[in-house]
Amino acid sequence: MSIPSGYAGNVLIVDLGKKTVEIIPTDKFLSDRGIEPRLWLGGDGFITRILWEDFKEPIDPLGPENEIIIATGPWTATAAPQSGRGMLGCIDPESGGFGSGSFGWIFPCTLKYAGYDIVIIRGKSDRFVYVFIDDGQVVFKDASHLRGKKNGETVKIVREELRERYEGEIRVLSTGVAGENLVRFAPPCADGTSCPGRTGAGAVMGSKNLKAIVVRGTGEIALHDPRGLLDASYDAVVKFNEKEPLLKLWQEQGASTCLGTTGNWPLNGGMLAENRDAADFPHFKNVGCMNCFNSCYHWLQIKEGKYSGLRHLGGHMTFLTNSLRNLEIKDFGEWIYFERYLQELGMDPASFSMGFTWAVDCFERGIMTLDDTDGLVLKRGDADLIWEVARKVAYREGKLGDLLAHGLAVASKKIGKGADEIAPHVRGKPYIQRDSKLQALMWSLGFLTSPRGGDWLRLHNVWELAFTPKKIDRYARYIGKDCPTIYDEALNLLDMPAELKKQIFGEAMKVDVGWIKGTGGKALFAAWTENFVALFNSLVTCMFGAATQFLLVGFGPTTYAEILNKITGWDTTSAELMASGERVFNLQRLFNYRLKGWTSKDDVWADKRAYEPGKMGIYKGKIVPWNDTLAEYYAVRGWSKEGIPTKEKALELKLGQMAEELEL
Amino acid sequence: MNERVIVYDPFYCSGCMSCMTACSTYNNGATSLTKARLQIMRHEGHAITGIDEEDDLVFDYINCQHCEDPICQHFCPTLAIHKDRDTGAVVVDKEKCVGCGMCLAVCPFGAISYDSTLRRITKCELCGGEPQCVRFCPTGALQFVPKDLAHLPKRDRLGRKKAKLRGRISEEKPV
Repeated sequence: MSIPSGYAGNVLIVDLGKKTVEIIPTDKFLSDRGIEPRLWLGGDGFITRILWEDFKEPIDPLGPENEIIIATGPWTATAAPQSGRGMLGCIDPESGGFGSGSFGWIFPCTLKYAGYDIVIIRGKSDRFVYVFIDDGQVVFKDASHLRGKKNGETVKIVREELRERYEGEIRVLSTGVAGENLVRFAPPCADGTSCPGRTGAGAVMGSKNLKAIVVRGTGEIALHDPRGLLDASYDAVVKFNEKEPLLKLWQEQGASTCLGTTGNWPLNGGMLAENRDAADFPHFKNVGCMNCFNSCYHWLQIKEGKYSGLRHLGGHMTFLTNSLRNLEIKDFGEWIYFERYLQELGMDPASFSMGFTWAVDCFERGIMTLDDTDGLVLKRGDADLIWEVARKVAYREGKLGDLLAHGLAVASKKIGKGADEIAPHVRGKPYIQRDSKLQALMWSLGFLTSPRGGDWLRLHNVWELAFTPKKIDRYARYIGKDCPTIYDEALNLLDMPAELKKQIFGEAMKVDVGWIKGTGGKALFAAWTENFVALFNSLVTCMFGAATQFLLVGFGPTTYAEILNKITGWDTTSAELMASGERVFNLQRLFNYRLKGWTSKDDVWADKRAYEPGKMGIYKGKIVPWNDTLAEYYAVRGWSKEGIPTKEKALELKLGQMAEELEL
Repeated sequence: MNERVIVYDPFYCSGCMSCMTACSTYNNGATSLTKARLQIMRHEGHAITGIDEEDDLVFDYINCQHCEDPICQHFCPTLAIHKDRDTGAVVVDKEKCVGCGMCLAVCPFGAISYDSTLRRITKCELCGGEPQCVRFCPTGALQFVPKDLAHLPKRDRLGRKKAKLRGRISEEKPV
């Protein structure tokens, strides 16, 4: 096999313990491991395969044997739309299982321009260092002066001391204070602004005595058909702009759109029509990662209140959702400061805020006392108290800080006294909001089936969420339509085989309140979406342009195939790409099964309240049919009743070698 | 007058660099940021580091302005540079260019670059009349407009900004 155009051509393996650097041609690296690029593409596909080969037994994720794997894909750093993304993987310190996360801004592209498709970092350094990848040269630099520095400061200091020749030449992926202190949900942060969140890889960096990975790349990416790629990309974006019903919302609101689109998310008992107002906050402009036509960052300044004058680049939905739901912060300035503060410390907002809200629950029930909280009276809505707790966690200060830094699952076991029965996590990973029954079925199912544990980003399907009842249907009216019309049009345009659409949406092919509230087709749509997510995470491109993720129509696999063929010279099809996605997702499942023994018995909510009738929303007064839907989901996936991919399924996906090893 | 020029409005720029990837892909056949003939400079340090909070996030556009009386042309020892009167582009004759870099040294905008693979000078030549940077700009920050009317869109935008400040209109961007 030889590596086609679109790949950078090299793999970098850094051993921090031995202080050695090895640069291997990508085709040699892949063929040695039997990885066919067309089957695995890149990004999450490569990460999954490398983790599969390297970790057969459970390890201490914060021990020297863990690896940091940064993988780009053939899509990254080319002229294809939204080419600014890469993936970062490791054994997740929070869950102990598979971990990977997508990140962007300019770091992944620069890494590829420096000539690397994959970077693997192993071992543990005896002193505090950062690694500087300067095109073909890789050196270890002393980082003792960077200890305790926040992410932004680190970027500034490193750029100055390496004397970048123009601003932005050097890109820095650093770990913050929390990562240094081994907080198990600390992600690294690229250029102080884009984090491969949810993985805890920042803590892995901290455990390796690695402050940052710094890159300068001046090369170029060869393409099979450069002008064909430009035409295909142009057509794709023009079509996107013509057909995407949620486009106007995106153009105006960027990444907080999803709160606008998902107007039916209920908060505190009321329907969330006001979410749209929360999402539509004042900002100077939207700013994007490389080659983005649908940019999500807000460049903004707070005008009034305590944080008046603060300028910030961000305004992302995870922070807003967490602030609103888990911390009950409602002030705009406080919400923006929450994002800024957690980015500086380098902590995952979902894991932190879920830990905090769980601690409040425990405190209110008397499970935790003032002795456990270092004398703090825990409650939601008090911003200064929350910043104080965040600081304590990042620095592992006091009893409470140290407890929450272990992650929710470990912390709840330590406290005992029933604390683990109200701990909102799945397989050790907290999700995004404390009430798992708030959303529609498919979105919540994603928490149970995600390879990362209770995580929503591998099944963020808005088809249920964006459906708004007539009385609050403001966005639809704003663009001069009504919600059923938007859905009818979107259903026609959705890039999915007609047969599959019939199975998901019924013979009538209609999205209405009955479909939204029902269970029909949901398991199948969930599986399709997860395969699709694994696909674009392997290419690697952004979820903010992809079908069903935050948009109704977006780019589908056909568009991906057209563009990928121009990059690589392959003749791949949408079906082949979807099979790649399915392969990656199944191997992630097998990986967790082999490493942790996770089966259907682990696809459960630790928080027993998830099995009680809902208090609001679609499941008000009703129990969510988790088990029935999961059983249907396993069947749809071709898995056994225990939730393990069968031998037939593995063979179909060309995972025969893995099936043999596991004796499926 | 046929002559058209590229104008840039930082107000609309999202800093995505689609213009640069399109430029290098179209002209070099491979995607690169360093080899793109135009550059969007990203003065972003304070924005991403959170230090110097009063500073703005600034994107700036550097490209050949296709001068009426190009300084690079005057300094070229082999007479390889001339202004194409049809398209308005200042173009380099690859056969005559010896790669001395004099044009690179004298260009007041830093808009001329040296390609170490070709060992020749490269610069924006307006893609033969259809600049790919403008085609791929997702926000409309780059426009390809008649040179004698190039100032008007910016004035329009400034007018809107003033009107918005006075509370007369709600949308700063044109509808």
